[in-house]
Amino acid sequence: MAVFTRAPKAEPILGQNRVVAHLLAVLTWVVGLLYFFPLLWLVLNGFKEEAVASGSPTLFFEPTLDRFGDVTEDAGNTLSFTEAFMNSFWIVLISTVFVMILAVPAAYALAIRPMRMWRDVLFFFISTKFLPIVGAIMPIYIIAQGFTVTIPLVGWELGWDSLLGSRTILVVLYTAMNLPLAVWMLRSFFAEVPKELIEAAQIDGCSLMGQIRQVILPIVAPGLAATALLCVIFAWNEFFLAVQLNSAGAGTIPVWVNSQQEFQGQFIAQFSAASVLAILPVVVAGWVAQKRMIRGLAMGAIK
Amino acid sequence: MTDTVVDGAFVDDPSVEDQSVEDESVVRAREVKALARREGWKRRLPILPALIFTIVVTQIPFLFTLFYSLTDWNISSIEPREFIGFDNYTSLNNPGEKFFREAAWVSVQMTVIAVLGSLFVGTGLAILLDRKFLGQGFIRTLLITPFLVMPVVASLLWKTQMFNKTFGLLNWLIESLGFEGIEFASRYPMASVITVLIWQWSPFMMLIVLAGLQGQDTSTLEAARVDGATTFGIFRQITFPQLRPYLELGTLLGAIYLIQVYDHIEVITGGVGTKNLPFWIAQRSIGGGNLFGLASAYSILVVIASIIIANIGLRVLSNLLEDDS
Amino acid sequence: MAEVRYEAASRIYPGSEIPAVNALDLDITDGELLVLVGPSGSGKSTALRMLAGLEHVNEGSVWINDIDVTLKPPQDRDIAMVFQNYALYPSMTVGENMGFALKQAKVPKEERAERVAEAARILDLVPYLDRKPKNLSGGQRQRVAMGRAIVRSPQVFLMDEPLSNLDAKLRVQTRTELADLQARLGTTMVYVTHDQVEAMTMGHRVAVLKDGILQQVASPRELYKRPKNRFVAGFIGSPAMNLLDVERTEGEFRLSGELVELTSEMAAAAAAIDGTTFGLGVRPEHLKFTSDDSGIAGEVSVVEALGSESFLHVKVLHEGRDEVLVVHEAGDTQFGRGDHVTISVDGPVHIFAPDGESV
Repeated sequence: MAVFTRAPKAEPILGQNRVVAHLLAVLTWVVGLLYFFPLLWLVLNGFKEEAVASGSPTLFFEPTLDRFGDVTEDAGNTLSFTEAFMNSFWIVLISTVFVMILAVPAAYALAIRPMRMWRDVLFFFISTKFLPIVGAIMPIYIIAQGFTVTIPLVGWELGWDSLLGSRTILVVLYTAMNLPLAVWMLRSFFAEVPKELIEAAQIDGCSLMGQIRQVILPIVAPGLAATALLCVIFAWNEFFLAVQLNSAGAGTIPVWVNSQQEFQGQFIAQFSAASVLAILPVVVAGWVAQKRMIRGLAMGAIK
Repeated sequence: MTDTVVDGAFVDDPSVEDQSVEDESVVRAREVKALARREGWKRRLPILPALIFTIVVTQIPFLFTLFYSLTDWNISSIEPREFIGFDNYTSLNNPGEKFFREAAWVSVQMTVIAVLGSLFVGTGLAILLDRKFLGQGFIRTLLITPFLVMPVVASLLWKTQMFNKTFGLLNWLIESLGFEGIEFASRYPMASVITVLIWQWSPFMMLIVLAGLQGQDTSTLEAARVDGATTFGIFRQITFPQLRPYLELGTLLGAIYLIQVYDHIEVITGGVGTKNLPFWIAQRSIGGGNLFGLASAYSILVVIASIIIANIGLRVLSNLLEDDS
Repeated sequence: MAEVRYEAASRIYPGSEIPAVNALDLDITDGELLVLVGPSGSGKSTALRMLAGLEHVNEGSVWINDIDVTLKPPQDRDIAMVFQNYALYPSMTVGENMGFALKQAKVPKEERAERVAEAARILDLVPYLDRKPKNLSGGQRQRVAMGRAIVRSPQVFLMDEPLSNLDAKLRVQTRTELADLQARLGTTMVYVTHDQVEAMTMGHRVAVLKDGILQQVASPRELYKRPKNRFVAGFIGSPAMNLLDVERTEGEFRLSGELVELTSEMAAAAAAIDGTTFGLGVRPEHLKFTSDDSGIAGEVSVVEALGSESFLHVKVLHEGRDEVLVVHEAGDTQFGRGDHVTISVDGPVHIFAPDGESV
């Protein structure tokens, strides 16, 4: 019964004897470090003086925090780090919350008491990701610019002002962007819940909300965390929509980091510092939640 | 039994009793049907918010795009936008528009190689990680990080600090070995972009495969060992088939995201030699082409192609949509 | 305490022509332990779930205590159910699991704790109240599932193969405890199992189902002695009754050439039925070995020596076919594989009409 025991740790496939096991461990270390190296380099460069960074590559230098100071300076009219950070923070937080609020009931409907056409509904959600966003940017831009429509006879006015340069437009779009993934993943997590458990809760007199809250949610919690984390990652890192729609105001971190490059040109150290600041939140979040993510995926992303 | 008064007569009149009993079963059948219908709506209700939201936010732009694709809209032209029917679509057959086919080919190449490459690397990494050793958690943390980095930063990082002829590390390595430096991004644009893509997406595949490896049934593996199977044999015949659903999920998700790659191309090569469909469409529209009508038509074509491919793909990968029963 | 009634209740799955449960008519009296038994696919679990409200009733109705519950959801029926896989809530402790239903019914905390403690006492679960299900053995989980049901003092207990996941020894032990518990509590219990030994030892009455149709419902003794049809005869009793096709020649039935003696009622009833191919059934315990020559000749093929009794499989020639008769012997047997033996009938014989019904 999958919900009671941890998935048994498989016998390592390779390396049944100790020497081989040790060699493989060393190999894994080497591979891991090499794989990570570009990022290490990025971080190191952030702490270098500009001259050092553009000179011959070196691992040893006198670290300085100056570059970080440079990039977080408030530069007047341009988008500052703090501004961009707050924008990204709120946009990502709210859109992820919206995604979960919409996706959890949807996943419940698709997994626990599926309607007849559930496969088609799931496919529809995924298909919304087939339209290249670069192609749809024009309509989105136009719609975001705002419009007013007067209903005849009644004289009511419907519509909105320009949403460009606001947090709202990105919240809406990021929610739509992440919803298919969330629905897909959450559905398979919900499908892992044994049907009998829900029946037992029903017989015990549990209302629908009670069933979800007290029986289902505790079981799918790791899956929820994994899904939320993925949504955060994709929303935080999104660049194209942010730069097209929000360059005027409410710019996000990716927009900010890109502007650093434009303004500063080939200043490697400066840009490295900016990059480190930009990626840090999501990287830390990913590091902290990785175990939960694997457990969540192992529990039933595949079903 | 509930009392029934039918036509003024009482229930113990035998002829009436038969009638009332029959009515009861008819009533019952109706009640059951009504109950089932209510159930049906209760089942559909929870999905409506997500569905309605998605339809409104994604289909409206889609319909607009569809509409524009049927016009000859040129942003920079003074002429008003005219409805031209399917001309944009048929224009693809013009020899002048072979760039579309080229872009499609680039898209296919890039997506396929990137997906398969990251799947391969990711699986390899997962196999290495799927054992107990000192620092396992640490190494795993290191390995997932590239996936967490935003594409813009990753692309710029590789472009300026790895590939770059003057400042790049790779060149520093090559030159210290005595060879001539290469400007990777311009000499090997496809390879450069694909390298970064694989570097970023392998951790994602690695996580999925790791999840699959951890879900293995130890007893099957032990039985195979007892039966004398070699390590590779076990992997090929037992582990790999069990991994299939995970690999398929990785392929599907990876393809969906990798087809849309844009940021990487914009940053690393500026489009030289690596015009995939999204980039090419962008060029035609906001990138100075200003031919929104045409660009919209291309976008619609991408959607149609994706739907067809995905449909085929999903029929093949049928266990991705398996019901719990 | 309640009476349960199925009235021509049917369950037809959408898209299927054959009903999973076909017009079931069953009356269960207050305080009775009724066992629903049958092979897989017989509809017994479906029938139970219809009573629970987990399956729609497409035709007919289900009653608890003279109230038509057919359209009521499970939470309104005042029933408790024990599932085959126990369905314990993994995130709650044993105590919380048992008290869950009471919590839903808004029973005050003290009363809840009392009732849980009482049930825990009865089931020997007191030291485990704070454990989570994943830290319990199979037998302990089974008892928690029982405890969850008992605590509610429902009108009816529903048991869906509650013992199938236990090892054999534990199953036998728990079986008696369960029957004892039901007798003490006096609550009506509907119990589903595929194991006919369980059915026979536990049930006040046993209902045998096949392909969704009720074959016979009666006390275990009645089922054993007077099975209504060939299926019930072959299903009830361990080891199974020897069942053979037999041709009626000149109004008589012969088993491997030996004349079969019938009671006068059976003979008269059989005479009234048309047809030539009948069924003949005789239980292993009603066959014995004889030393005289008149009898059925055969060769021992398999010997099952259980210590307290033995079962011998004997190959015989019956109507030109090779058939196997299982013979029961008390204690040890002197015969071994390959021995030639003679068998005679030493007990009631069952005759089944060509349509399977008992004569």
